[in-house]
Amino acid sequence: MKKIGIADVHNFLRAIILLGFASLIGYLVLTGDILLYVTPKLTIYLKIAGIGLLVVSLFQFYISFISLKREVIVCNCGHDHDHDHGHGHEDDDHHSHEPSRSLWKNVLIYGMFLLPLLLGSLLPNKALAGSLANQRGMNLGGVSVNGGSAPAELVELEGNEDPAIRSLFKTEPYNKDYAKLGMVLYQQNVIEMKDEWFIEKLQAMNTFADNFKGKTIKITGFVYREDGMPESQFIIGRMAMTHCIADISPYGIIVDSPDASQFENDSWITVTGTIDSTTFHELKVIKIDVDQIEPAHVSNVPYVYPDWNFASKL
Amino acid sequence: MANTATEKKPNNWNSNTIAGLGLALILLLYFFSANAPGTILNNPKLQIFKSVFISIILEAMPFILIGVFISALIQVFVSDQMIQRVIPKNPILGIITASVLGIIFPLCECGMVPAIRKLIKKGMPLYAATTFILVGPILNPVVFLSTLTAFRSRPEIAYARMGLAFAVALVIGLIVYRFVNKDQLKGNSNPSVQAHSHSHHHSEPHEHVHVHGHNDHRHPRPNKIVELMGHTVSEFFDMGKYLIFGSVLVGLLQTFVAQSSLVALGQGQGSSNLIMMGLGFILSLCSTSDAFVAQSFMTTFSKGSLVAFMVFGPMLNLKGLLMMLAVFKTRFVVLMSILVFVFVYVGTIILEMTLFK
Repeated sequence: MKKIGIADVHNFLRAIILLGFASLIGYLVLTGDILLYVTPKLTIYLKIAGIGLLVVSLFQFYISFISLKREVIVCNCGHDHDHDHGHGHEDDDHHSHEPSRSLWKNVLIYGMFLLPLLLGSLLPNKALAGSLANQRGMNLGGVSVNGGSAPAELVELEGNEDPAIRSLFKTEPYNKDYAKLGMVLYQQNVIEMKDEWFIEKLQAMNTFADNFKGKTIKITGFVYREDGMPESQFIIGRMAMTHCIADISPYGIIVDSPDASQFENDSWITVTGTIDSTTFHELKVIKIDVDQIEPAHVSNVPYVYPDWNFASKL
Repeated sequence: MANTATEKKPNNWNSNTIAGLGLALILLLYFFSANAPGTILNNPKLQIFKSVFISIILEAMPFILIGVFISALIQVFVSDQMIQRVIPKNPILGIITASVLGIIFPLCECGMVPAIRKLIKKGMPLYAATTFILVGPILNPVVFLSTLTAFRSRPEIAYARMGLAFAVALVIGLIVYRFVNKDQLKGNSNPSVQAHSHSHHHSEPHEHVHVHGHNDHRHPRPNKIVELMGHTVSEFFDMGKYLIFGSVLVGLLQTFVAQSSLVALGQGQGSSNLIMMGLGFILSLCSTSDAFVAQSFMTTFSKGSLVAFMVFGPMLNLKGLLMMLAVFKTRFVVLMSILVFVFVYVGTIILEMTLFK
C-alpha cells in the first residue's frame, strides 16, 4: 500500500475527463443535437468514438484503482514518450524546483480539457443562422456577369425530354449535371426548395437564370440582410454544412417585397413568388418577386448538406 | 542532465512565444475587423464560439482516437526493426512511398500526427515522415473525389491540387533529407541522458527493465492490453491539449474575424493567393471538406488562389501547427512552415501562368 499521491489524482482526473467526453457525445447522439455540430455522415464515426472513449475511460479507472495499491503499472516510466508531455513538465519543475508552477500548468491543461465539457453541458445547443452568416458572407450562387472565362463549346444533353427544353439547357460539358437538374425543375409547376438539394437547385437555377424567369418558387429559410441592401430586399437562406461548423456557409436567394422591412433577421419564413434575375456584387443571380410570405417553423434539419452525386439520383 | 535542461528551456519558451504571438494576431485581426470590441460577452458571439469550438473537437475526435490508438499499438506491438524493414533504404524511393501511403491510409492530420510521432521514434526516417505529414491529408482518394465533385465544372483544379501537393511534399522531403539533422523530435535531443534523468527523478530502478518487471509481477496477457490502454490515454491527453488549444484559436478567429473582411483585403494577382493561403491556415478545415468551401469562392478568386487554399490549408493550419509543435522541435516546425509557404506560393503562381492561363 502507498498513500494517494499526485499521480493518482492525475489518473482519476484523466478517467473522469474521458468519461465526460464519452457522455457529451452520448448525450448529443441520443438527443439528436449532434446534427447541430457535424454532418449526418460523421455521426456513425462519433458513435464509435463515444464507445471507444467509454472503453478507454473504464480502463483508465481500472488503472487508477490498481495504482492506488501498487506502484506504477503502466508506463509512468522509462518509455520514450514520457518526456514530451506532463512528465516533461515534471522534468522541468524538477529542475527549477517550483511545484506551484507545475500546479498552475496542470490546472491550465486540465482546464483546457474541461472547457469543451463545460461549454457543451452549460450552454444550450442552438442551430446557427444569420449571426454566423454575417461572419461568412452569403453565397448567392451567382454567375459572373462579365463571363470571366471564354465561352466553351456548348453541348445539348441527351435524353427523351422535349427537344425545345433540351436546347434551352445547352451548356458546357462540365455543367451537364446542373443542366439535367435544371430541366427537371423547369418542368415543375412550383419549384420547391426543401432540405434536399437546396444548394444544387440554387446552382442550377442560377446557371440558367434566364430560363427560370417567371417560374413559381416556394422556399423556406431564415431572413438575412447584407450591408447596403435596399429596404425592399432581404435574403432568404439556409446554412450549408459539409463536415462540421468550421466549414459552414450560408446559401440564399434575394427576395424583393414592398413589406420586406416587416421581417426580422433570423426569423424563419416561407416565401412563395416568381423568379426574376438581378445583379448583386457584379454577379448575375436569381431573385424572388414575392406573392406571399408566411411565418414558418425552424426546419427539423438545421442545415442543408451538399449532395455530390445528385445527378445520378435524378 | 544539464544538457536536457538547457535544451528544454528555450524550446518551451519558443512554443509559448508562438502561442502568445498567435493570440496577439487574433486580437489584432479582431480590432481590424468590423466588430466593435467589447462584444465578447454578448451571447450570440459566445454561442458561435461554443458551436465552432465544440464542432471542431467533435469532428476531430474519432480521428484523433484512431491516431492515438494506432500510436499505442505501434508502441506496444511494433519493433524498431519492423519499421526499418518496411521503409525503403533509398531516400527517393522512401519519399515516394511515404507520399503514396496516404492512398492506403486516408487519414486527416488529426489522426496522422500522433501515429507519425511514434513511427519516427521507432526509426522511420524524418524525411519520409515529413513527406507523409504534408501530403497524406491531400493525396488520398477521399479528398481527390470530393475535390473533383466540388469543382465538377473545372476538373483541372482537382488535378492541380493533387499534383502541386505531391510536388511540394517531394521537394520538401528531399530538402529535409539533404539538409536537416535527423533528430528533430521535441525533447529528444539526447535520449540517453533523458532516460537517465528520468529514472533519477522517479528513483525507480526497475523501470528500466520495464517488460521484465511486468512479467515478474503479473500475467503477460492482460498486461499488454492495460499497457495499450495506458498508452492510448497518455497519448490522448498529450495530443488532445494541442487539438483543444488549436480549436480555441480557430473558434475565436471564426467568431470575431469576419471572413468577408479578410476576403476584401486583396483580390489582385499574387496577393489573392496569399489571402487564400491565410484563410486556409485560419479555418483549419478537414481536407475532405475544404474543396466545397473553396468552391464557394470560385466567382471571386482566381483558380490558382483556390488551389493555394486547398494545398496550403491541409499542409499547414492553426490546428495542425499546434499538433506539430507537440511532436517536433519548434525550429523544425518553423523551417517546415517557411518551406511549405514558399513552395505552395511559388507553385500556384507557376500554375496560374501555365495551366490556368
